[in-house]
Amino acid sequence: MNSVVCIKRVPETAEATLKIAPDGKKLEEENLVFSLNDADNYALEQALLLQEEFDGDVTVISVGPPETDEIIRMALAKGATNAIRIHHDDISKLDANAVASLLAEQIKDLDYDVVFTGAFASDDAFSLVGTMLAEKLEITHITMAIEMKQDDEDEAEISRELEGGLIAKYRIKFPAVITVQTGMNEPRYASILGIKRASQKEVDVVDDPTIPENKVQLEKISYPPEGKKAEILSGTPEETSSRLAEILKQKGII
Amino acid sequence: MHKLLIKNELLGCIQCGRCSAGCPVSLRTALSPRKLIYKNLRESKKLPKSQDIWSCTTCRTCQQRCPKGVSVMDYIIGLRSYQVERGKIEPTMRDALESILKHGNPWGRPREKRTQWIDDETDVRILAEGEETDVLLYVGCTPAYDPEIQKSTRALAKILNDADVDFAIIGNDESCCGNEVKRMGELGLFEMLVEENTALFKKYKFNTMITISPHCYNTFKNEYALDFEILHYTQFLKKLLDEGKLQISASIEKKVVFHDPCFLGKQNDEYDAPRELLKYLLTDEDNLLEFGRNRERSLCCEGGGGRMWLEVESESPRNAEIRIDDAKSIGAEVVATSCPFCQLTLNDAVKTTKSEDKIRVMDICSLIAENKFEETEMEE
Repeated sequence: MNSVVCIKRVPETAEATLKIAPDGKKLEEENLVFSLNDADNYALEQALLLQEEFDGDVTVISVGPPETDEIIRMALAKGATNAIRIHHDDISKLDANAVASLLAEQIKDLDYDVVFTGAFASDDAFSLVGTMLAEKLEITHITMAIEMKQDDEDEAEISRELEGGLIAKYRIKFPAVITVQTGMNEPRYASILGIKRASQKEVDVVDDPTIPENKVQLEKISYPPEGKKAEILSGTPEETSSRLAEILKQKGII
Repeated sequence: MHKLLIKNELLGCIQCGRCSAGCPVSLRTALSPRKLIYKNLRESKKLPKSQDIWSCTTCRTCQQRCPKGVSVMDYIIGLRSYQVERGKIEPTMRDALESILKHGNPWGRPREKRTQWIDDETDVRILAEGEETDVLLYVGCTPAYDPEIQKSTRALAKILNDADVDFAIIGNDESCCGNEVKRMGELGLFEMLVEENTALFKKYKFNTMITISPHCYNTFKNEYALDFEILHYTQFLKKLLDEGKLQISASIEKKVVFHDPCFLGKQNDEYDAPRELLKYLLTDEDNLLEFGRNRERSLCCEGGGGRMWLEVESESPRNAEIRIDDAKSIGAEVVATSCPFCQLTLNDAVKTTKSEDKIRVMDICSLIAENKFEETEMEE
């Protein structure tokens, strides 16, 4: 069975010092490290696990500038068989509908059973591309999958995690789009030698795609307003931790 | 016969079992180097897929004690490299390796925060490209990022300044040395770091490089082809003492035992420099105690070979806990060491054995700095 995995190159923002670019619409990229979107990494792993079980191709597809080839090569090193990059200089200017259209335009002609995407991208967190893509491909979809069990090549049992810790199980027939949450599996490591070898593999570049018009326009990015009740403790770890314990005791929390 | 077996002289193995007997983790994990070799020689067409190899701390005791010159540790690292190539490694090790590729350190911390150990009271010059210094202090990842070890890093900078050493650091452009990367079996990433670091060092002019961690010292000295002097900081400070540039007056009255780090001792034969520094610090030389297992027989703390990022399951106490119990039983009040990983594992063991009121773990540079700059604290 064949899978397609949609992947995105995103900045790692968890610990970085973020600066907003002068136009107020994107981040300064100079000191940022980019990598494969976390949820997409789990989506890719799920496709590779299926490939180990049922054989077939894993095609990774991404929209972005040439730098996107870094994460594509990583996916190829892990075992993806084919790669497509739809060229776009600045994906921060595309809305979810435009990205889904660009992806659908390429995927529609591929021979696939499942299309995996991450449940959301860590940079814009829209969680929209997967569902929009299913709509454009006119196939079914399931979002936020945390477990996938599969006995044959035509259907699968998918678990989704609901509020309150409930788990809902579904059976779906392929073809389908599945958006994957982090934690569904344990993504494998791409070794440097593997990545170097993968750079010999061909990436099919779509140079001049027709860019659909954005329906959502980004107005402005800003820092969150400083909370009035926040107190930042300063001092050595010993000082701040005992001060924190004191505060928690005072408030009756511990 | 697989090339890994031939390269590491496995055919010379006489199954004497000295490797397994000396292995510091064979008593608490399923790893038995002798058994591994036996099985592999019997089934020589394929390499064993055993997960036990990940317990290895790459302390090198097995290889050192083998009477037939079998490269037991190198063979285990080789087996790891095949598992790394298949991509199926423990997530904690995977994250450490990916972090080194992305951020230049295994701790998942951004490069821009590599110099945050420098506080307002620490005077350190950061080299710009082409600049010159006598001594380059290679800080290393753990001394740069770990809040506990940063204290030792600051202590060393203070000592160097006090001794008027012309020293500087690379700053945020400094990257992981790769010692643990190689031992985790990620040989491609190691080669990449060797190339990048060698090119980086060429951007500056200096005569000597000193490292805080024996792990960095080991790989720069033995596995890179660098054309400058490389010293562990204990060796450098000992040299300063001998030249009369560093003054240490004896002030420690407590009983101190030195824990030999594997990568300074059994892998690089440096047993004396740290002990001699300690002798200067003690009011009574007799207070420098020795573990039963010392020098080349030192019990590995289990911090090497990537084990800082991999906990092995065992019902037996950790080696670091055994070490702290041993230290208490000989009456030591301070365990001195000269390795960030040893310091962290031993410090944890002090907590897990509830020994905080009986024993302290101190890096030698912190002991010297306390002695020189805050003499009162030790006496409290």
